Amino acid sequence: MNNEKVLIKGNYAIAQAAINAGCQCYFGYPITPQTEIGEYLSGKMQELGRGYVCAESELAAINMVIGAVSTGVKAMTSSSSCAVALMQEALSYACSDELPVVLVNVMRAGPGLGYIYPAQGDYNQSVYGGGNGDYKIIVLAPSTVQECIDYTYKAFYLAHKYRNPVILLADGLLGQMMEPACFGEYPYPEIDNSSWALTGAKNRISRAIYSCARDEKKQINHINHLFEKFELISKNETEWEEFEIDDAEIILTAFGSMTRNIKAAMKVLRNKGIKAGCFRPITLNPFPHKRIYELASKGKDFAVVEMNMGQMFKDVKYAVNGNSNVGLINRPVGEWLKVEEIVSAVEKIMEKDYAASI
Amino acid sequence: MEKNFILAGFGGQGILLAGTILANAFMLDDKNVTWYPCYGAEMRGGTVNCEVVVSDTEVSSVHKSNCDYALVLNQQSFDRFVKNVKSGGTIIANSTLVSESKPRDDIHYVFAPMGKLANELGTSKVTNVVSLGVLSSVIDFVSKDALKLAIEKVLGSKKKDLLPLNFKALESGSELIAKV
Amino acid sequence: MQQVFSIPKSMKKDFKYTFCPGCDHGIAIRLLAEVLDELEIQDKTICAASIGCSVFIYDFLNVDSIEAPHGRALAEATGVKRACPDKVVFTYQGDGDFASIGLAESMHAAFRGERLTALMINNTTYGMTGGQHGPTTMMGQITTTSPMGRNREYYGYPARMAEQLALADGCAYSARVALDSIPHINEAKKAIKKAFRVQLDGIGLGFVEILSTCPTNWKMTPEQAHERVRNDMVKTFPLGVFKDVTEG
Repeated sequence: MNNEKVLIKGNYAIAQAAINAGCQCYFGYPITPQTEIGEYLSGKMQELGRGYVCAESELAAINMVIGAVSTGVKAMTSSSSCAVALMQEALSYACSDELPVVLVNVMRAGPGLGYIYPAQGDYNQSVYGGGNGDYKIIVLAPSTVQECIDYTYKAFYLAHKYRNPVILLADGLLGQMMEPACFGEYPYPEIDNSSWALTGAKNRISRAIYSCARDEKKQINHINHLFEKFELISKNETEWEEFEIDDAEIILTAFGSMTRNIKAAMKVLRNKGIKAGCFRPITLNPFPHKRIYELASKGKDFAVVEMNMGQMFKDVKYAVNGNSNVGLINRPVGEWLKVEEIVSAVEKIMEKDYAASI
Repeated sequence: MEKNFILAGFGGQGILLAGTILANAFMLDDKNVTWYPCYGAEMRGGTVNCEVVVSDTEVSSVHKSNCDYALVLNQQSFDRFVKNVKSGGTIIANSTLVSESKPRDDIHYVFAPMGKLANELGTSKVTNVVSLGVLSSVIDFVSKDALKLAIEKVLGSKKKDLLPLNFKALESGSELIAKV
Repeated sequence: MQQVFSIPKSMKKDFKYTFCPGCDHGIAIRLLAEVLDELEIQDKTICAASIGCSVFIYDFLNVDSIEAPHGRALAEATGVKRACPDKVVFTYQGDGDFASIGLAESMHAAFRGERLTALMINNTTYGMTGGQHGPTTMMGQITTTSPMGRNREYYGYPARMAEQLALADGCAYSARVALDSIPHINEAKKAIKKAFRVQLDGIGLGFVEILSTCPTNWKMTPEQAHERVRNDMVKTFPLGVFKDVTEG
């Protein structure tokens, strides 16, 4: 459709990509730093004759998405950290109901109201969730504006392919920055929803989508089914990037936009003669545990670099399973960790000071 | 090569637009580029600023605290960002509103009466484009053609009538330092 | 021989009746099914179920249904309708769901004038959890969480939803009905039908508040419960049509 490079803001890129992906409905409530998504879509969706509601709350917005996707169409909402917290109940329902909800979270600082500057404090909220019961959400973390487009496309595809909610986990940096990017065309096949979508009980028996579990045995089977499904997702869809891994002694690990900083830091470290590599989980859930375990088994140490108090750090540590050392380089919120800061912290870690937190 | 710019001024001086034009110009020159604004409450009153990072390879990071070049259009921005220029870097200031002081001796200073020139051209609204003209004469890695194309792209078809004035502002800006 | 009474087409053939004896949910659901039959919309209707005893509507109705988290039925219904404007979409909610936890969703669906139908069962209590004080509990009413009766100091006043909905510009029809007698049941069916008609005609939200019994939690016989509706509840919750934009 469009292979022209355009300079575009991450938020607008996500919004336009949703349109290209065939998103039929958008429901949202304003919150910085993602408000541009709703602003952009309000006009475009009306022009296209698609659905748009500026919802009365995030609670309403995500439930409107549940309603829309229950009919088989693509729909999404977008929000940020403290307001995504309001959506956790609905995400638990959507997982149990096996509904293809797409949620974009452009992270800001927490806890509580926090502030509008970027942060990465929603790793746990996204990967482990704040809803009740056993459920898993697919979480994709883009690192550039181009990837905001690519993974918005993928979010819709995976959501429908597996009938599972997907979170696109961006941050205020990605949402607000402009970079050259290409939209291309939505690259995935359309998924046939006719076996489950609510379309009116015409020439068939009626369908009900619900999570209410009156029969214990059925519920056990249902939860097992959800987890088997996620095993399959894990097998098919776990995605990561790695650089200069082969001879690396220490592997810098980050997700989302922080990936860029660790790649730059790796180059500086290599110039200094330190054998550093980079590892970046793209799917935070399913998490590339297996690959990290393989690398750790070869004795490679890890340094997790993130803008929170060490949320992904715990997953890396779990994956490493004691086979090598894992350091944490972090700042809770504020200015993104600078390349020089990362370099000097890695040097400290190399001296076996694993608590080289900044 | 990776260079980063901080562009700053007060609200209404079109500083975010200037950054957008510069970023587009780098893109048109086939470079990797990232534009990042200050956003939110900061945007109302006080200084407005944005950051532009240009690189031959993937842009490593934004939200940097130090810059290679600072382009400042008012005194407040000069005072705030003169500290952030890397040693050996350059601050380019609109001397119409910024007093020509040199608080540090490890950076370069370029003072040019951008606002005055813009007024001579008919409106202070083009101070931002004049400043890009000045910048293009200071750095050798952005072409004036790319800047012109970028202005066309950013103003779009709706504001086509403003193009000649903006091209004039860019051209005059690029000759300003030689004159000074 | 002529068959004069049968299960409506919009009801499942194999449902098991699970409500308490004397509960009016059964009557309300049957009326709803009759209306869907008569309007011939069963095969293009989607229901957003709620939380509470009303959740089991999908056990009875032969229409596609989605269960909403507590209070969010009208948000989900909005999503369904915006995705499929050609479908008929309704919610079936209790008073706690509609008027307490879901008040924002309820009122905003009305403000927006969503082409939806909303039915609220008002039995002045949280039924499924065992009869606690709720938004529609009447003054003086004893519940498990108002053991001395609802009073102004601790609980404030009951919410009158049919009157509230009528104030919303986007609400096309708002009525309060009861199920305590044959004439009232006939009126109720008319109101429910009207609440679907305003949706089908694309006018706005149709709302019916249905005064209903909860004999178990009221600790009454079915007869006593219906007498309470007839003699007491209607004083706080007067029956009638509070708004009908298709009239006059």
